[in-house]
Amino acid sequence: MFTLSGSIPKDFIGGILYIIKENYPLYIEGVKYTLMISIAGTFLGLFLALLITVFRIQESDARDSLGTKVYKRISVILSASYVEFFRGTPMMVQAAIFFYGLAMIGFRIPILIAGIIIVTLNTAAYLTEVLRAGINSIDKGQMEAARSIGLTRSQSYMYIIFPQAIKNMVPAIGNELVVNIKDTAVLSVIGVSELFYMGKSIAGTYYRYTETFVIVALIYLVLVLITTRILTLIVKLMNVPSKRSLPSSQTIPLEV
Amino acid sequence: MDIIKVKNLHKSFGEVEVLSDINLSFEARTVTSIIGPSGSGKSTLLRCLNQLENATKGSILFDGTDITTNNADLNKVRSKIGMVFQSFNLFDNLTVIENCIIGQEKVLHRKKDEASEIASDFLKQVGMFSFRDRKVTTLSGGQKQRVAIARTLSMNPDVILFDEPTSSLDPEMVNDVLDVMRNIISNNYTIIVVTHEMEFAKDVSDRVIFMEDGHIINDGKPSEIWNKNSSDRLKKFLNI
Repeated sequence: MFTLSGSIPKDFIGGILYIIKENYPLYIEGVKYTLMISIAGTFLGLFLALLITVFRIQESDARDSLGTKVYKRISVILSASYVEFFRGTPMMVQAAIFFYGLAMIGFRIPILIAGIIIVTLNTAAYLTEVLRAGINSIDKGQMEAARSIGLTRSQSYMYIIFPQAIKNMVPAIGNELVVNIKDTAVLSVIGVSELFYMGKSIAGTYYRYTETFVIVALIYLVLVLITTRILTLIVKLMNVPSKRSLPSSQTIPLEV
Repeated sequence: MDIIKVKNLHKSFGEVEVLSDINLSFEARTVTSIIGPSGSGKSTLLRCLNQLENATKGSILFDGTDITTNNADLNKVRSKIGMVFQSFNLFDNLTVIENCIIGQEKVLHRKKDEASEIASDFLKQVGMFSFRDRKVTTLSGGQKQRVAIARTLSMNPDVILFDEPTSSLDPEMVNDVLDVMRNIISNNYTIIVVTHEMEFAKDVSDRVIFMEDGHIINDGKPSEIWNKNSSDRLKKFLNI
């Protein structure tokens, strides 16, 4: 290790180039893990969020039996608590509790899986709130029309409300992916060999922290920029049908 | 035969009583218009009939069964009582024809082909068949309302409730929709319309109900409502 650091150029730029040249496979490995965890975590988190939202949006109705009312109330309390817990504590702390907690009771799961689970749980909490807001923003008339032709509450959500809410939330899902790409860095606390973790070990090899982490920062920046561009494109493509509509006025006379 | 019977119906929103002690019967295959100033409770009454609003007190019988009780099969009842809304409320994520198919498939369990055929027939009847694959968000108000009527008809309801169907429309589109409605009326549904279109109400109704402050003030044939012996209040409202 000492012999290696002897051959590294003393100047900043030279150091950076040298580190890249010698360690690019490690950086690539780190990027692989970062992308794997953030992409898998975002999508699994979205599915989990859909499930949690089902419990989060239970509303009791005057017609419900006592049992149904209790069930709905508990659903809301549990799902809201889940969201509050994961939004109210740092992901780094959650990762530590989860990983070391499981180890304490005798479960050893692969670190990569642990990382994906933590990101999934976190993403689900944020996206549940996004989805709930999305559902609330949909005109009440959609639900009324659905119920008025005889669809059940669940059918109305499944065929009418959710599809509209999810379409509206595509930008928020993209945003969550970008946040996850950056935030997976905290998983280094449990030893996930993502990009930041790789940076730390490379820096330790040469005792050249600034150079190593400047490279890490640039890689994150490039990942985020590419992701954002792709997402913008997707959002644009998805909006095409509504852009085709011609601008028109809707006359809604005020009642007096 | 009375298809809908309303008994001692009360409806309050918090402290405000919107409907007080309404008693009404609607005979099958007749056309009833409900008129009255804004805030008189007309729309609330209509929305109680398919239980979009729960009654605070009283009962509503559809085909002899009380639909305000907890064990009423509301979804089945609603599939027989269609509703056309002031703000159309077409399903924005679906195309024109999908709007008319989804209820047939999910509620009436019709096969896709059959549902599609029925939907096409009604879309032709309202003059919207050529728009069948359009996203509904690209339609004008009048077109939307005509699709909404086809959506309701596709469920083969016994009763159709119209909640101010032309109040959100441009003046020139109002007649398109009223024409479609006239066309339906000749088909023997039980129709209840809340409307501000007085000429239309006078022209097509078998019966007109005038409401104010949650009460029914007048109830009779159009000739009894548009009458020189009507109360001053009613004459003032009708502008006669």
